[in-house]
Amino acid sequence: MKERIKFLLEDALPLVDFDTDFLFNELDSLGIASILMILSEEYKINLDGKDVTPRNFKSLDSLVSMVQNKLDNNK
Amino acid sequence: MNLSVGMINKIVDYIAFHALTQPQKVALICHGEKLTYMELYDEIKSYALRFSQQGIVKGQTYLFKFHADRSCIVTYFALHQIGAIAVPLEKSLPNEKIGELESRISKHGPFIINDVADILFTTGTTGVSKGVIISHDTILADAENLADAQGFTSETVFLICGPLNHIGSLSKMYPTFMMGGTVIIIDGIKNLDNFYEALDYPSYKLATFLVPSSIRMLLLFSKDRLVEYKDKIDFIETGAAAISHSDMLALCKILPNTRIYNTYASTETGIISTYNFNDGNCVPGCLGRPMKNSGISITEKGNIACSGRTLMSGYVDMDLDKSVIKDNVLVTSDLGYLDEEGMLHLTGREDDVINVGGLKVEPSEVEDVVMAFPGIKDCICIAVPHSITDNTLKLLVVFEKGVVLDKKRMARFIATKLESYKVPLLYEQVDSIKRTFNGKLDRKAFRTQKREL
Repeated sequence: MKERIKFLLEDALPLVDFDTDFLFNELDSLGIASILMILSEEYKINLDGKDVTPRNFKSLDSLVSMVQNKLDNNK
Repeated sequence: MNLSVGMINKIVDYIAFHALTQPQKVALICHGEKLTYMELYDEIKSYALRFSQQGIVKGQTYLFKFHADRSCIVTYFALHQIGAIAVPLEKSLPNEKIGELESRISKHGPFIINDVADILFTTGTTGVSKGVIISHDTILADAENLADAQGFTSETVFLICGPLNHIGSLSKMYPTFMMGGTVIIIDGIKNLDNFYEALDYPSYKLATFLVPSSIRMLLLFSKDRLVEYKDKIDFIETGAAAISHSDMLALCKILPNTRIYNTYASTETGIISTYNFNDGNCVPGCLGRPMKNSGISITEKGNIACSGRTLMSGYVDMDLDKSVIKDNVLVTSDLGYLDEEGMLHLTGREDDVINVGGLKVEPSEVEDVVMAFPGIKDCICIAVPHSITDNTLKLLVVFEKGVVLDKKRMARFIATKLESYKVPLLYEQVDSIKRTFNGKLDRKAFRTQKREL
């Protein structure tokens, strides 16, 4: 899942470094919105403004955890 | 110090006036830190003194990246205080570009136009950013226009969450400080908690400026939360790009008691007209009647022409100035019409400028940068639809034989030369790019094909 998410997000946001632990600082509002839309669509999960926290957007790993938690909650 | 409203020539004079008349009133809140009018003005005076000691004098330009912080806001008004010219720049502007802009300003020579306040760099139709010269009188006229047409008062608490080098956000400080209201600054809306915490400020006269893409984001990702503020938000202004009718209707439904303005403005024209679309009619594309200091006419070719005190004083590149302002009328590249009630409606643009979420990009500026990339033979920057910003940039590139597109490397190369919003999100390697019979890029062909890409 991590590689797939990285591929999708790097393709959509070519300027963003997804290997950083300071991802939230790197992103602007459009970047955040793009990530919410891409992950919602790819994994058929419901992501909204409440999910946009510095903790969830800290790194690629934290985004993967956010998606995984949503998928687990949907089961 | 004796100061009356009659002696006021600049917005910073209003700050000084309010520092005398309502010293304990909160003027500015930046990242949670509050400054009263007295504290704000003291800080402005202190910065002004420091600038003077550094040898910055009246009429001299001072370039700085305008971050959403207290220091930049104080810098901006301190420069005005000593008669220097503020040149606020986009925060993502590469440093090497700053030297280029400095050199262009110095070639202009001394600013003989009295009363120059700012030089704002904006998108140029020649592929080069234009330095727009703004006077203090223009700024006051913009402030009067907004205060009169949108109802700014001393109770207004205006939340600014956009780039402060851009007229859309910068201009909202003017009427708020003119009326003695409160400005709250946050760094964008990516952290929605910050946005809503700012709206938690104890006031029922909150106001904000949101470009259409920000409105769409709020509607998509936090509609339920926005509803909770329906009795607190006095008015919202949008502009800089076209807002969809569906978003207009959705916002009116969520905020039935809020005035929601669609405004026609640009760096060159100033703030010209505005329309409260939460009027029961919600007319799509309507930008209202000209404000008190402005006039609008339509040329024979359908271009929107503006007049009045809010117009710029000219460009740093004076040659360009002659082509757009004639007889105190500025003819824009925007196309539109006035309806029978004198309301302005925008129908499109006659040039190639691409509007990306309220920020305008001249594609040739991007292409000029890309042509310096190793192995490039040809390229074109086009607009393609985007679900949030309406348009986004796509770059089609032709490489020399054997060279393969590395999207990330290309994007980062462009970002070393241009502001981040000018870096295309989408890239495609193609065999050739269509040109017209005389060898120019055939932009019209790409415009008609863009829906198919």
